Amino acid sequence: MTTRSLHPTAAPPNPGRGVRPTGAVPVGRRFLFADRRRATLTVLGVAASLLLVLVLDGIFAGAVDRVTYYIRTSPADVFVSQAGVRTMHMSVSTLPADAPDRVAEVPGVAWAAPIAFASGSVAGPQGRQLTYLVGYDTRTGGGGPRALVAGRLPGAGEAILDEQAADRLGIGLGDRFTVMGMPVRAVGFSTSGSSITNTTVFVDLAEFARIHDDRVSYVLAGLDAGADPNTVADRIRTGVDEVTVQSREQFTESEARIVTDMSADLLRLMSTIGLVIALAVIALGLMTATLNRLRDFAVLKALGAQTPRLARAVAMQVLLTVVLASAVATTAALALARLLPTAEPAVQITITATAVAQTTATALLVGLIAALWPLRRIATLDAATAFRETR
Amino acid sequence: MNTTENTSAATAGTPGPAAGSQAVSAGHSRVPVLTVRGLTKTYGSGDTAVDAVRSVDLDVASGEVLLVMGPSGSGKTTLLLMLGALLRPTAGSIAVTGRDNRDVDIAAAPEKHLPALRSHTFGFIFQDYALLDALTATENIAVAANLAGTTGSAAHHRATELLDRVGLEHRATARPSQMSGGEQQRVAVARALSNDPPVLLADEPTANLDASRGRDLARLLRRLADEDHRSVVIVSHDDRLREIADRVLWLEDGQFRQIASMTIDPVCRMSVERTGAHLEWHEQTIWFCSEGCKREFAENPDSFQP
Repeated sequence: MTTRSLHPTAAPPNPGRGVRPTGAVPVGRRFLFADRRRATLTVLGVAASLLLVLVLDGIFAGAVDRVTYYIRTSPADVFVSQAGVRTMHMSVSTLPADAPDRVAEVPGVAWAAPIAFASGSVAGPQGRQLTYLVGYDTRTGGGGPRALVAGRLPGAGEAILDEQAADRLGIGLGDRFTVMGMPVRAVGFSTSGSSITNTTVFVDLAEFARIHDDRVSYVLAGLDAGADPNTVADRIRTGVDEVTVQSREQFTESEARIVTDMSADLLRLMSTIGLVIALAVIALGLMTATLNRLRDFAVLKALGAQTPRLARAVAMQVLLTVVLASAVATTAALALARLLPTAEPAVQITITATAVAQTTATALLVGLIAALWPLRRIATLDAATAFRETR
Repeated sequence: MNTTENTSAATAGTPGPAAGSQAVSAGHSRVPVLTVRGLTKTYGSGDTAVDAVRSVDLDVASGEVLLVMGPSGSGKTTLLLMLGALLRPTAGSIAVTGRDNRDVDIAAAPEKHLPALRSHTFGFIFQDYALLDALTATENIAVAANLAGTTGSAAHHRATELLDRVGLEHRATARPSQMSGGEQQRVAVARALSNDPPVLLADEPTANLDASRGRDLARLLRRLADEDHRSVVIVSHDDRLREIADRVLWLEDGQFRQIASMTIDPVCRMSVERTGAHLEWHEQTIWFCSEGCKREFAENPDSFQP
């Protein structure tokens, strides 16, 4: 054995080369990764539950994206609807026949286009689906699909169908299908108008009148260059009776909100289930890890560690577990968001930074709740148990 | 060395308190670092009360190695836990002089002060080493330095120096599971030194080591007392540690007993009193812990070293 002497109060020698440690020994991190298999399983378990939450949220956000696609991509700056009606989804709006002309007369309005809108069903050889039926003036194009990916604009007895719905329902260009029970021919395909639950069919206003009724549901208005949407909206409210006027952003927000409100309970339930699973996995992992390391914690206490320091070690394990799990879950969710639509085009998964941040923050809170039992066990741990031989 | 001294008034073979209030004093004429008076620990109450330690008085000097021996259940570990501020005594006082020369009564110190007291005043050496298997040798030492207030590079360098001192600088990044028992115990000693404590408390430090490594460790502990002027209190069954002890105290039924008249059973190597089973061999009296040992010795005396 080496017999070098060292006075206990001697100053430390010059540091050697290499990485210089800062702060205290990262006990929590070392404890977590000492058993890599267990750490991996815990992280993957938590990641799976966070993935469930993220994907549910992403599917919902994707559905909202699809539902609001028509409004978000419309060239209109201002949307006029029946007084008190703020959405298209789950709403019926009827405006006076002269409403488009009166809107067009308002200073600042460059153009005004009426659309007719109704909910119904579309059926093809391979099935049936809920649809929004939009009637628009095909001569001006105002209120029609943002772009055609195939075919041409519709005439009498013709319609434009979303390409994803057409594929699902087995409808090709030139094929006949029914909208609200009335036969039409598919002459064009639009895109991004289908969600899990419904699609969008565009017809000429006259055809809409034949299929459903003759009505003006909304007026879409484009503004003069430099005109302020809010100012013009105020003018329309003053100049046209019994209408609700919203900017494109307001209308999009209203549409998204009603979809969110309708699905909030289900979404909340599913997210809660995911987080409860996360709670169970973290709690189980931490409890097992803590019980296996009680002797180590007792030794640290015997050496002078106070409970807050040991609590930090446990909290660090939670933090690392959740952050790693969140990273894994986010990566997997992004991969799913890219891959799933190739298999099921109607499903869009939208993973936002906000959703990731919220899920991670909630998981951290859940993790800290899961840490309460181990923390209590450590707080009441008798340091003297360090002297009981366990190996 | 090996200057086993009498304990105070207790008569060999007669249970009783260690000389009333007379302390088992330091074998060296140095200033006591640890002063224990009337130390008692009682578990339970009423009819079921058990005195694990009874009215023990003790002084331990700076640089002294004190070996406390005794049979299982005699109160050795209870005494050690109380000395190390890990167990509250039922009665009595334990005054310890820190590196700053201030005396603290551990028995009277508020509970919340005990962790800091431990981390600054004592170095603990455990029977099974008690290293954290998630940490490297260096980190095991540095974490104890952290608890004493030294962090970052300073803690790392302290750990490196101490590993060097115990001859394990080449094992700095090894984990306990990758080290032999002897190496682990040397790391544990280095960890006990990381806070530069005036008192080292060792619980059966050689119990899990073979003879050679046990001797090495004993010498290391002796050196720590001599070179650093640390007080070293060892509780152990291991008779080999007598070699390095300045004093050996015998604890039985929670009390120190006089061990001047004690001897070693050549069969089981336990310390025994000069009463009971014995026989005459080569003009000397050999004492045994039991008739069984006596019989075993009598059958083949040449195979045992009296």
